[in-house]
Amino acid sequence: MLEATNELGTVVLEAGGTLTNPDAAIAIAVGLAALGAGYAERGIGSAAVGAMAEDDDLFINGLILTVLPETIVILALVLVFVL
Amino acid sequence: MSAVGSSNPEYVVARVRARRGSLYGDEEYRKLVRMSPAEIARFMEESSYETEINALGSRHAGVDLIEYALNRNLAKQFEGILDWSEGGLYDLIARYLRKFDAWNVKTVIRGIYTDAGQEAVEVDLIRAGEFDDRRIRRLLEADSIDAVIEVLEDTIYGEPLRSAYAEYEETDTLVPLENAIDRAFYERLLANLPGNEPTRQYEAFLKAEVDFRNADNALRLARSGADIDPAAYFIEGGDLFTRDQLARLARNLDELVEYIADSQYADELGPALRELEDANSLIAFEHATDVALLAYGDQLGTIHPVSVTPIISYILAKEREVDNIRAIARGKEAGLPADEIESELVIT
Repeated sequence: MLEATNELGTVVLEAGGTLTNPDAAIAIAVGLAALGAGYAERGIGSAAVGAMAEDDDLFINGLILTVLPETIVILALVLVFVL
Repeated sequence: MSAVGSSNPEYVVARVRARRGSLYGDEEYRKLVRMSPAEIARFMEESSYETEINALGSRHAGVDLIEYALNRNLAKQFEGILDWSEGGLYDLIARYLRKFDAWNVKTVIRGIYTDAGQEAVEVDLIRAGEFDDRRIRRLLEADSIDAVIEVLEDTIYGEPLRSAYAEYEETDTLVPLENAIDRAFYERLLANLPGNEPTRQYEAFLKAEVDFRNADNALRLARSGADIDPAAYFIEGGDLFTRDQLARLARNLDELVEYIADSQYADELGPALRELEDANSLIAFEHATDVALLAYGDQLGTIHPVSVTPIISYILAKEREVDNIRAIARGKEAGLPADEIESELVIT
């Protein structure tokens, strides 16, 4: 699958498709970062809720750990202003 | 919850790890060994067994109270784990916890066979398996073994029990029925396990347990010299023995000991085997298999922290805790000295 994405990228770029447009590329980058963050939060969140169910004191720790992957979206968002 | 959908190991592992922290450690056991049964009950009331001791405290006392509180707490915790897990994870955990279903069915059948009262049977049940309260109620209300089989018609035990019933009627002993239940349980235990890496570790543990069970039985038969067909007690699925091997080895104690000493379990069981040869004491061997299983259980879950293995590891540790507290309470009741009780405990 990975080789296929590489080829797909070349095709898209050569044909003058969406990815030659910087705005569209940034939108995709931010979207993919958000997707990754969401997937990471899925696991962390369910573990955090499990831990909180056993011990209420873990609420703050759970909350912090759950939103940590959100930083990757913020980093991706930087691209919007830089480019 | 159910066997549909995807697994949720993160949630269950987080809860189970939190509970693991509240299990008794060496320190607590040392204290418990020096207490009387009433003090043990008091000690339990101040730890995670509070609800159970309070609920049962008015009806029972002494060792009975401890025993029933232990059973009920075990049932509640394991029921909880089954409740939380979904998908493939549920299937893997239910496989192991079905042993409590098997225990319950056996208890009910024995109760009917000996004409014990419904209440006496009820307190001995451990409601940790897959059966829901309604089925257990119907089991308790059944007044003949035929009725019990009818209640279990749509479970994995229905078919084997039905075919063993004829033999039971002929011989009027419970052995065929109990063997049928055990076999139904062990057949399901190792059948169609999915093939990923954490599951293979789980499978290796289950196989070790079957092997040890077989070895225990074979040693016991070989030592007693009784004229019983060892193959009838053979449990399928282990790595160590085949049915024919076990039948042959169980006739000769020396050969059997040598065979186990040469097997893959030599490291764990070696010292106990030497003791068996010297002092002819089976207790040390059974203790050694328990310790080996516990060590194995502790190891589970360190390589794949988010999978079924840490959950199974907790289930084993909890079972061991309940066994240990029960041993302490029973030992105290019988008036054994503290160091003798301590040598009976299975602690790593």
